[in-house]
Amino acid sequence: MRNKLKIVLLLTAWLLPTVLMQTHAEDVSFTANAPRQVVMGKPFQLTFSVNQRAKDLRAPEMSDFDIVAGPYSSQSSSTSFINGQRTSSFSLTYTYTLMARKVGSFTIDPASIVVGGDTYRSNALKITVLPADEEPAPSSNDQQATTGGANATQQSASSSNRSGDIFIKTQVSKTKVHEQECILLSYKLYFAGVDVAQFTNNTKLPEFKGFMKQELDQQEIQTELEHYNGRNYQTAVLYRTLLFPQKAGDIEVEPASFEAVVRVQNRTQVRSIFDDFFATYSNVTKPLTAPGVTIHVQPLPAGKPAGFSGGVGSYSIHSSISSNSITTNDPITIKLSISGKGNMKMLKTPSVDWPDGFEVYDPKVSNNFKNTTSGVSGSKDIEYLAIARAAGDYTIPPVTFSYYDTNEERYKTYTTEEYQVHVARGANDADQTVVTSGTYTNKEDIQKLGTDIRYIETQPLRPNEHKGKGLNGQWWLWYLLPTILSVLLFVLFRKQIRDNADARKVRYRKANKVAQKRLKKAKKLLNDHQDAAFYEEIERAAWSYLSDRLSIPQANLTKENISGILREKGIAEDLISEVSNVLSTAEFARYAPSAAGSKSELYDATAKLIDNLENTKL
Amino acid sequence: MKRLYGILIAMVSMAASTFAADWDTANGLYAEGNYADAAAMYEELVEEQPAAEVYYNLGNAYYKMGEIARAILSYERALRLKPKYPDCKHNLALAQSKIIDNIEDNHHFFVAQWAKAFRNLRSENTWFYLSVGLFWLFLVCTFVFAFGRNIIVRKTGFHVAWITLLCSIITLWCAASLHHRDSAQEEAIVVQGIVNAKSSPDKSGTDLFILHEGTKVWVEETVNGWCSVHVGDNVGWVSGSAIERI
Repeated sequence: MRNKLKIVLLLTAWLLPTVLMQTHAEDVSFTANAPRQVVMGKPFQLTFSVNQRAKDLRAPEMSDFDIVAGPYSSQSSSTSFINGQRTSSFSLTYTYTLMARKVGSFTIDPASIVVGGDTYRSNALKITVLPADEEPAPSSNDQQATTGGANATQQSASSSNRSGDIFIKTQVSKTKVHEQECILLSYKLYFAGVDVAQFTNNTKLPEFKGFMKQELDQQEIQTELEHYNGRNYQTAVLYRTLLFPQKAGDIEVEPASFEAVVRVQNRTQVRSIFDDFFATYSNVTKPLTAPGVTIHVQPLPAGKPAGFSGGVGSYSIHSSISSNSITTNDPITIKLSISGKGNMKMLKTPSVDWPDGFEVYDPKVSNNFKNTTSGVSGSKDIEYLAIARAAGDYTIPPVTFSYYDTNEERYKTYTTEEYQVHVARGANDADQTVVTSGTYTNKEDIQKLGTDIRYIETQPLRPNEHKGKGLNGQWWLWYLLPTILSVLLFVLFRKQIRDNADARKVRYRKANKVAQKRLKKAKKLLNDHQDAAFYEEIERAAWSYLSDRLSIPQANLTKENISGILREKGIAEDLISEVSNVLSTAEFARYAPSAAGSKSELYDATAKLIDNLENTKL
Repeated sequence: MKRLYGILIAMVSMAASTFAADWDTANGLYAEGNYADAAAMYEELVEEQPAAEVYYNLGNAYYKMGEIARAILSYERALRLKPKYPDCKHNLALAQSKIIDNIEDNHHFFVAQWAKAFRNLRSENTWFYLSVGLFWLFLVCTFVFAFGRNIIVRKTGFHVAWITLLCSIITLWCAASLHHRDSAQEEAIVVQGIVNAKSSPDKSGTDLFILHEGTKVWVEETVNGWCSVHVGDNVGWVSGSAIERI
């Protein structure tokens, strides 16, 4: 039983690597590694490592370097179980020890290696060879300490620690820029012969007044070798930021201060024999100052285009439309993408001038910026959304985007395409109108867009009708002539009326006289016994008297008329009955003389009646 | 005799046709936006036939040229000839909104203002004919009153007579007032950009107030080419060339 288990374990131990090798055969990594900067005359190591079992390494030619030792190969493998997952790694490394022959920049070509029958190539390496340290003169460090600060732009706050040296340089990519043009500012630590343990939190960065700051992502601090002032320093970038000047003029960046903890070897004045054996170290906090810089900012040249976006850098614009033909109530989007490099954050969003008939929504802006050491780059994507509300053919005018190109040093203007959009009446829209048309529609007041004078008269003119009249000339004749005419007419009318009235008056006045004359004649006829004539005369006397006295025309003479008029005039009733009595008696006697009473009686009655009437006021 | 008539008719029709042609040409110039030439042409046409429509178009041309004062002057002249001219009133109001001086003539009694507004509703001729017609009606009614057959007719005649007489007098007043306004040429428009009104009719007079172009002033008297004008409460002398009478 036990033996069986052993055999199984042995089998798996023998089989597993081969299985693993097969599964990982695809991702072979073969890399070359070496420090990027080396110092002349100092050996360094070049390694080629591969993560699979390999053979037949062919190293490149390294004529610029002396191979001091190597290649030594070493392998290591590890297997681990984590949560039941097995992972294993293997590494085969070939190490060369090299030494540079001359100062300069050199390339080590890729090496090749064979893994499982396939040949793999490593990466090429670039190595900068720095000159060896000059032997520092005793005074040189002191001098550097005093002149360092005066070295305004490319300067150093240096501090020498006997053979150790540590300082910070302020580096800017440009000191002469245009407004809004990006510059990279970095604080770089230089140290040689000292051991920097850490930095305290007591870092004081300037405020960068007058700039818009865009900090770069802080990556891990990597040290590099740099030859400076005849000495090879370890350098590390402590802080990097992009600055966009916001105003023209000379803008000062104030000095920054850092605090580093440096390990120094204790050196006491009193030398003891132990000193050489027990070198003691202590941590010393060292204040470091990065000097300030002045940036000369030029204003943007005159002649800004009308639709200047505020952009400085180099950009390009691209636009697209979702569709050229839609139906009403459908959305339509115009996408505008501004990509490039520069002060992307300060770009104004251009606006699309939608025609009437579109319901416009706020544009959606998505920024996709990346901060790199050469500036902010990326793209600004703007989505303009609108919904077509009315059918028709529309033209969406182009969008203009202008910026200042820092490479070409001039303003550049891009104009996007002009879009023709056809909006058809949608099916749902038709339904909507059917529903709404009978009952309710949104009435809108006439939109007043502006005021202007009304248009000129264009109809042909009619010839002058009546000009120059009115109150000119003899205007008063228009009043005077009709007045005179009417006065004349008035007088004429008046006269005629008066005449008529006079005729009546005469008859009125003469009524009694005429009647008396007739009565006299009747008396004579009575005496002569001419009966018919007598009756006729009597009747006439009575009628004519009444006609004259009451101003009644002969034609209107009837008994009823007479009594009516008399009654109107307020005559006593017995007199009225007497009048009608006399009249009917006379009439009766005229047609039937025999039946009538005495003639003298009739005569007396008539005479008495006329008398009575004469005495009555009519 | 017949030939003479023929010549006369031909001349008249020729004059009319050139006027119509010029009118169309001027309107064409205006439509093209050549306002300066259009205005010059309208000025000639106005000399030939001073009609409200010609003044109106002239005013529009001046307005488009930016000569607000001249535009106002032309509109005012057009309205004198044709008080019932809505387009002209609209444009005049617009032009007046662009002038600088803000003068409110509100120190008159409100009844006087109403009367003035009423008077301006119709032209002098219209008022006059209306007045004459009413007067004739008055005469007829007087006859009805004097010789009416019965008391009701005569009473009606009497009342209509005095009402028509009153109306006739009022309308005649309107006509007379308009006639006075037009013949006295009291109203004028400032056509010079900025004018200093002086205290006396000469250049050495003290500057009293400033008038800007387009403002309407009332001329009271003229001495040596200087006009005494009053605007609102202010009275001063301005050079006769700075203003133009409507």
